Amino acid sequence: MTAVAGASPAAHRSSKAKRRRSPTLTVIMLVMFGYAVLPLFWLLANASKSGGDLFSTFGLWFGGDFHLFANIGETLRYNDGIFVRWFGNTVLYSVVGAGGAALLATIGGYALAKYDFPGRKLLFAVVLGGISIPGTALAVPTYLLFSRIGIVDTPWAVLIPSLCSPFGLYLMRVYAADAVPDSILESARIDGASEFRIFRTIALRLLAPGFVTVLLFALVATWNNYFLPLIVLNTPTWFPLTVGLNQWNAQANSGTSGAGDATYSLILTGSLLSIVPLIIAFLALQRFWQSGLATGSVKQ
Amino acid sequence: MKTRPSRRGVVTGGVAAALSLALAACGGGTGGGATTAPSAAPSASAAVQDALAKPAELTFWTWVTGIEKTVARFQAKYPNIKVNVVNAGQSADQYTKLQTAIKAGSGAPDVAQIEYFALPQFALAKQVVNLSDYGAAALKDKFAPAAWGQVAINGGVFGIPQDTGPMAMFYRKDIFDKLKLKPPTTWAEFIDTAKKIKADNPDNFLTSIDPGDAGGVDSLIWQAGGAPFKTSGESSVSVTLATDPGVKQWVGTWNTLLSEKLVDPQPGWTDEWWKGMGSGKYAAWLTGAWAPNGIINSIPKTKGKWAVAPMPQYDAAKPMNAENGGSSVAVIPQSKNIPAAVAFAEWLNSDPEAVKSLNTEAGLFPATKALLDDPAFRDTPQEFFGGQKINQVLGDASAAVRADWQYLPFQVYANSIFKDTVGQAVDGGGDLSAALKSWQDRITAFGTEQGFTLSGG
Amino acid sequence: MTAPAVRAGLPRPFLRLRVAGYAFFLPFFVVFLVAVVAPLAYAIYLSFFQDRMIGGTVFSGLANYTRAISDALFGAGLLRVALFLVVQVPVMLLIALGCALAIDSGRLRWPSLFRITIFMPYAVPAVVSALMWGYIYGDQFGLVGQIGDALGVAAPNLMSRSWMLGSIGNMVTWEFVGYNMIILYAALRAIPEELYEAAEMDGAGAIRIAWSVKLPALRPALLVATIFSIIGSFQLFNEPNILQTLAPAVITTSYTPNMYAYSLAFNGQQINYSAAVAVVLGLVTVVVAYAVQILTARREKTL
Repeated sequence: MTAVAGASPAAHRSSKAKRRRSPTLTVIMLVMFGYAVLPLFWLLANASKSGGDLFSTFGLWFGGDFHLFANIGETLRYNDGIFVRWFGNTVLYSVVGAGGAALLATIGGYALAKYDFPGRKLLFAVVLGGISIPGTALAVPTYLLFSRIGIVDTPWAVLIPSLCSPFGLYLMRVYAADAVPDSILESARIDGASEFRIFRTIALRLLAPGFVTVLLFALVATWNNYFLPLIVLNTPTWFPLTVGLNQWNAQANSGTSGAGDATYSLILTGSLLSIVPLIIAFLALQRFWQSGLATGSVKQ
Repeated sequence: MKTRPSRRGVVTGGVAAALSLALAACGGGTGGGATTAPSAAPSASAAVQDALAKPAELTFWTWVTGIEKTVARFQAKYPNIKVNVVNAGQSADQYTKLQTAIKAGSGAPDVAQIEYFALPQFALAKQVVNLSDYGAAALKDKFAPAAWGQVAINGGVFGIPQDTGPMAMFYRKDIFDKLKLKPPTTWAEFIDTAKKIKADNPDNFLTSIDPGDAGGVDSLIWQAGGAPFKTSGESSVSVTLATDPGVKQWVGTWNTLLSEKLVDPQPGWTDEWWKGMGSGKYAAWLTGAWAPNGIINSIPKTKGKWAVAPMPQYDAAKPMNAENGGSSVAVIPQSKNIPAAVAFAEWLNSDPEAVKSLNTEAGLFPATKALLDDPAFRDTPQEFFGGQKINQVLGDASAAVRADWQYLPFQVYANSIFKDTVGQAVDGGGDLSAALKSWQDRITAFGTEQGFTLSGG
Repeated sequence: MTAPAVRAGLPRPFLRLRVAGYAFFLPFFVVFLVAVVAPLAYAIYLSFFQDRMIGGTVFSGLANYTRAISDALFGAGLLRVALFLVVQVPVMLLIALGCALAIDSGRLRWPSLFRITIFMPYAVPAVVSALMWGYIYGDQFGLVGQIGDALGVAAPNLMSRSWMLGSIGNMVTWEFVGYNMIILYAALRAIPEELYEAAEMDGAGAIRIAWSVKLPALRPALLVATIFSIIGSFQLFNEPNILQTLAPAVITTSYTPNMYAYSLAFNGQQINYSAAVAVVLGLVTVVVAYAVQILTARREKTL
């Protein structure tokens, strides 16, 4: 049986478009929608308030005048535009860190799923054991070690640990087990392809939806990484958004504000701005789940 | 993830909005005069004075916003010394980094902001330089005695006072006027006032108390004449939270306030609390002189409704006050240029131009006598406070502070477990003396484990 | 595949596969060594010492461990997260599973809208959560309080002792339902088509397909989600830490074991004891995670 290129799950589903839409299901999901969105709506409403309205108007609606764009302007300008710098740092850490992490996890997970090498199970167990120790307790030892190799207070101290995504490894192992049929690998080997070539030209393509999933998770995780950069960075010009926003929060909570700005508004607006790239990334990556690479080309 | 910053520990004060006025009005003139004074380097130590003329680069960890402007004035005056201002985190976060960097042997700054309550810990561990070796003891008379008392530890000087937070009562004049109340001058009157506010509207309170804020309760105990923490020598510590007469005085008043639900146990700085402050749910805030910035920035719509009064007293004949928060600037032994670091720390916190700038440009409440007594500082009416000359009240509050208060050499930890013990009673309206005893027990256990000799009752 | 090692070594193809396996795993492992194993080994080393403010550092053997095992604060925190685990994780995973199946079913209007909105909470930075949940849970000026006012009833204080664990559970669920949903959804997308076709030929309806085709195929992904939720529960930190500013008397410094380890290291400078607490916590986590894994594997075999 030869699958037509278009016989992807998406097409497959649409071929059954005769399936009725279920209003009940839609209503249930609308409840979930409300649950997910309500706090976010609070964020949007309050990021649109002037400093004066913030603590003096109804929480779940907009203030007297729509201040969002003024707040965005102020957030971007505050403290010589440090927000923009933090934003750039976060992009750097996330793109390099998450991209690298997803790639390493994909290759590693593929190895665990498709190659039976001695010690495989042990290595897998070691990874699980390693992540069972909370990072909070490892913070000080990490600092001391990084200090010894001279990377404290440099981007490397954030980037190197970000490359490690044990979760991604787990997910990819599970995913690769199903998505890459042994039969394809064997026939490629019979054709004389090298293992690396097989990975690059066949497996990677089959693994794409899993890779994208891991990439998305790694991206969000690095984007919101707080504890590690807090510990290993001292200089604000290297901070990612999370640490920077937290610093503003600490400022707001201490009454410290030499510049005389209402930093609460900046925190809310900054948080709102920091979510936007993740939404864009999500929208850009989601098409890979629908592309049906996994099933579309497996069957020959 | 963050530790709850000891935010009230961070002291900044003065009134930013009005301050720029003050600077324009008088800062320019007197500041210029001050810079021409011959004592550019205030220390007696020749090495320190010489250091100002030599090229050096210093890193300064601080979380005071706006302090860059003061540092820029230093740079303009001493162009040989380059100072990098770094905000490495606030309070406990910064201390952990600092201590870890000191352990690691590199990465620590030359100069660092350290709050008064944390300074004994650094001093004891020799993680900060004893500045009396560099002649800093000569600066003593420039500072408010209470501030100096916090940096003079065990016969040495371990930091230069930067700012202070003498306690005062910030209250809603509109609410007091409406109910025909006067600001209470004694704690007995305070209880009465609280009852009247409650009687007017059972949802309202005279004030709130934060069950997680050890610093706030430390200060109230200090203000009640308490002295529950004493350190003698290097390793003897006494903790008398259960028996100290001043502590008992505080317990008497606050057990009444809490058990009769006359004050609201509500964590500060939250959405709920700020809305309460803005709406008039709370009629007063007992806090440090740094409070105006927070009020002005977070609830600007209450402009004109606030006023400041001295703290209520236990014995009106013998008024006593306390500090709430405040920071010093210390020098880290890892520095490659300690004399320059000392010179910078001294200039920053004692030069007339610098202290004026700290007040007006960084919004800190002063620690130096010269500025606290300066008519231009005291007598400027503050528009937000309905034209009240609040710095007169706050300046007098500073003068009334008991200078003999001591913090533990592990107060950072002691304060962190406050919420586990006393905070429980504050929140649940339980008995404060039993809760203080359990706080004391945990402090004692920790201290003993750390190798101290603990005594107390 | 463990071929008997003949003198000439493994047959070439086997050797090639082994070498390739190691080579593919190596890059991940190197990063893992630097980022996780090295600090961990150092922490374990530190856990055998005691560093005192007076008296310096001394070797203390297993003292930190014996202390951790009998530490009532640690024990109470462990029990609390265990309770959290058995209630919150199943609820969250069931909701996530339901959402993933619904979005995948083809019977839903606007599936991609739901997919992104339910995932979005995971992207909200923790710093703003304190303000946000402070508002929602506020029993006077907050959402809960205002709903109570509108209904004319006294709103419960969701940040009181009795409600707190549920409130944290709600926050975690809100944040991670979408996350787990995406894991499961991605796995659903990888189900080979012939399975559907076979089921459809048998005349199976949507629910029948979900039950007999999709669920079994989701097993491995569900196991990953479960394992990581278990680890996440034992390491519960962010959400209680955020709520601590709002309810300091309820969320004590030892509310969860991870918060306890943090407080010891950061406020108490007890890095050594903190490391021991973390290692014991890690061991408990590993044991539970393995138990779940083995139980699932056994069930799969017997099925």
